[in-house]
Amino acid sequence: MAYAAGVDVGSTQTKAVVIDESRKIVGRALIDTGANVTLAAENAFRLARAAGDLTEEEVEYVVGTGYGRYKVTFGNSQVTEISCHGRGAVQMFPNTRTVVDMGGQDTKAIRVATSGEILDFCMNDKCAAGTGRFLGAASAALGVPLDQLGPLALSGERPVKISTTCTVFAESEVLSWLGKGKKIQDILLGVHQSIALRSAALLRRVGIEEQVTFTGGVTRNIAMVETLNDKLGVKVNVSEDSHFMGALGAALFALDHILASRVAEHPGRGAA
Amino acid sequence: MNSETRPDAALVGRGNREGARLFREWFEVLTQAAEQGRGGAYVFVMGSLGELLRTFDLPLVFPEINSLQTAVRHVAHEYLNEAEDHGYSPDICGYVKADVATQMRSGVLPMGRIPKPAIAICTNACNTYIKWGEIWERMYGVPIVTLDVPGNRSAASRSGPGEPEFETDRRYVAAQIKEIIPLLERVSGVKFDIDRLRENMAHANTMNRCWKRVLELNRTRPAPFSALSDGTIYLGVANTQRGTAAGAAYFTDLVEEMAYKGREGIGTLSEEKYRLLFVGVPCYPIFRRFAEMFAEGGGTFVNSTYLWFASGGANTGFECRLDDPLEGLAEGLLVGVRDAMDSMFFHTQSLLEMYRDYDADGVIYHPIKSCRTVSTGLADSRRALMAAADVPSLYIESDMMDRRVVSEAQLKNRIDAFFEGLATRRRPPALETGGASQRT
Repeated sequence: MAYAAGVDVGSTQTKAVVIDESRKIVGRALIDTGANVTLAAENAFRLARAAGDLTEEEVEYVVGTGYGRYKVTFGNSQVTEISCHGRGAVQMFPNTRTVVDMGGQDTKAIRVATSGEILDFCMNDKCAAGTGRFLGAASAALGVPLDQLGPLALSGERPVKISTTCTVFAESEVLSWLGKGKKIQDILLGVHQSIALRSAALLRRVGIEEQVTFTGGVTRNIAMVETLNDKLGVKVNVSEDSHFMGALGAALFALDHILASRVAEHPGRGAA
Repeated sequence: MNSETRPDAALVGRGNREGARLFREWFEVLTQAAEQGRGGAYVFVMGSLGELLRTFDLPLVFPEINSLQTAVRHVAHEYLNEAEDHGYSPDICGYVKADVATQMRSGVLPMGRIPKPAIAICTNACNTYIKWGEIWERMYGVPIVTLDVPGNRSAASRSGPGEPEFETDRRYVAAQIKEIIPLLERVSGVKFDIDRLRENMAHANTMNRCWKRVLELNRTRPAPFSALSDGTIYLGVANTQRGTAAGAAYFTDLVEEMAYKGREGIGTLSEEKYRLLFVGVPCYPIFRRFAEMFAEGGGTFVNSTYLWFASGGANTGFECRLDDPLEGLAEGLLVGVRDAMDSMFFHTQSLLEMYRDYDADGVIYHPIKSCRTVSTGLADSRRALMAAADVPSLYIESDMMDRRVVSEAQLKNRIDAFFEGLATRRRPPALETGGASQRT
């Protein structure tokens, strides 16, 4: 049995996934990236292998992805997170035609073919508005831990309008709403709606075709899922492994290499 | 043996070397004029009328080219900051701001010095040209002439010489050119000489004919030149030497070089994996690196809309009639500027043809913050192209001047993803995957 791995070094967290030849996830790991990107990649890979009870030698090929992909020094090759999220989403939800990936510092809208081929993509440019960082700013301004943002936002009834498109100024705007006596829940719901609106605009640029799959770290925020459903008018696919979608896609590309090399060594023997 | 078949390995790279030499010499002329206190004719790349202006011994100043050179030489931010400190908004054309700062520096540029304007000739091909001209008018009180060249505003209704609509427009343009001549005589103190104009136009005809041929020769696989990097050098000569014997000789030689490289299979990359088309204006602040990011993926640019519109329509290869130079000049200006405008605004059909003729693999759209004229509508153009045919395309944004809005890391990520998509298209079907992963 051959194993392939993907290591997704994101701006805030690093994810690693190990898959077997049947493309089943046998190990996964998630850690904070921190300042030492290479160390984070090594640690995530080690933890994912440990979860699958695998040695380093048993993993034949490793693909690095994410903004720190070139720092995955033990990796065999690199693939962008755009391709990896598309590939992973189609693997997890085969009817996926559009992917929205919301990470720490960027949001991507990706249109994919049934094969996982990237047909088009669009990302936020030079600005973190509409990304996970926007939630981080709200969390800091309101003193609410990140994992409580979603549940609190969903209890909001009268969402405020967040008009700024700048993450830094958003913090000031959040504080100004507090000063006007608005409830934290309503402010948070407004923040989530603002992000969902910007993400929907990105998706419209590539064309929204069902099914839509939501990937990235922000998928763990239930209010983000709900507001995105609301603004898009469709129910987005989310799984417990959505956070690992980039790493999964990278692992699938790694498996491609293993299978391709077998075909080269033994012509006539196809993919598993 | 004609010029396209002479074997000579020394031809390789001659266009770039000679282009650099001509550029230096052009700037030496400008610097000399500035130091002598002589005024120049300020003109733009879309409709310069260089053939006519040279008959009055006016040195030609191309503010667009001067400004982009500050970006290529990594000093644009100094000029932009000065103009912004003076009150110009970060949101307006970077070329304009770099020129404003240049004027405030008495014409000093990294390449030399430019003279003050004695006159400026604008066209309506770019709306910013007109407002730009007004700045010089306020600064120096010099005459600013805006040529109103009737555009089509619809690629489908393009008319040509001999057709009634075109002839009406030609007469309108000819009347404007004739009106300028007394003004040019007054500004320059030189009497108009129609035979000099005829001679300059003959050189410009040669340049147009050769420029069209050079572009055609890049259909060869591998492409003999990069439409993005090498092409911009050729474009500089096409503009600054328009209507000169040196320009005509340069482009005649360039045809010879490209034919030789094509025949010998000499391309710009060691392995040309993907042939690309470029739409928009180059990213001058990281000019070399921008091209490298594509070369790293095995991509080379085989043609671009920039080589069309920034040559003022010389890509059409149109040759003006010389028996009646002023009417011929009007005809050439109308054909050229119209084509330049179409290349900016109505290029979907042309791109489809270019995609086919150049056996391209993808189209790169590069809208820029500084130039709304050329960038607005590119998203629609791309959608139209993708609706018309299965053409892979990439949409990346940066700027032609302002490095503050150029993020190399973001560009690289998108470019890499684009190449991954192209590679996926070529991947053997046996390696496609399906089915869902299971959580264990």
